[in-house]
Amino acid sequence: MDIMKAYIILSIALFLIGFLGVIVRKNLITILVSTELMLNGINLALVAADKVLGRVDGQIFAFFVLTVAAAEVAVGLGLVISIFRLKGYEASHEISQLRD
Amino acid sequence: MGEDRVEWIIFVVLGTWLILSALGTVFVKSPIHVILFFLSTLLAMAAIFLVLGAELLAGIQLIIYAVAIVVFYVLVITTIPWEKIKRFEGIYKSELMVASPILFILFLLMSYMVVKGEFAQPVGLVKDNVKDLGKELFTSYLFPFEVASVILLVAMIGAILLGRKEE
Repeated sequence: MDIMKAYIILSIALFLIGFLGVIVRKNLITILVSTELMLNGINLALVAADKVLGRVDGQIFAFFVLTVAAAEVAVGLGLVISIFRLKGYEASHEISQLRD
Repeated sequence: MGEDRVEWIIFVVLGTWLILSALGTVFVKSPIHVILFFLSTLLAMAAIFLVLGAELLAGIQLIIYAVAIVVFYVLVITTIPWEKIKRFEGIYKSELMVASPILFILFLLMSYMVVKGEFAQPVGLVKDNVKDLGKELFTSYLFPFEVASVILLVAMIGAILLGRKEE
């Protein structure tokens, strides 16, 4: 088997592990960390495709994914903090409405 | 043949490291240990980027992810009182029972597609990764690059608005 296919499969595994983390974790902060794992899996697939094709476009997309990841962390953690401040410290299944 | 085998050995070592740290990130109980496993995942990703010939991306992965984002998470975790979040550490058991077989089947299907599929033909050859990347980023992708700065500005304003105390 081509080794680049193994890298693509590794990226799929990383994405699905992150997805599993989003589904099963109770803590809001660890849910955010799991979304970061999913973004990393996408980055790995883009870089592997670049290696196959001999181009750099995929790495530029990976840069934009990094930008979105940084923005997502800032806004997401701000949301988590404000949820904690508004409603006390709750698990993810107890947060069922956005208002007070 | 020898070079090929070395590539496979590197892949197996880095891939095992990556998958084990990712599983640790998902299944370990304490949030601090989650962040440490996440840091280990990011280091493994940077090593894989180096192996794949994306040197600039490996460095940026270390600078942005492993320094900025992880420190951000640690700062937020230190602001949360520990005794109050003990109650909801860990994972949902029934959701794990339902989700993991489905995701495993999904993984097998997607891997089957990848193994059976064919790659596209190479269209170029990257000699100097950093030079080519910079040239492409500041010519073809100049407008998305500028828009990315606006995204970061909006995210900064949003985080300040969300994070401040109500008067």
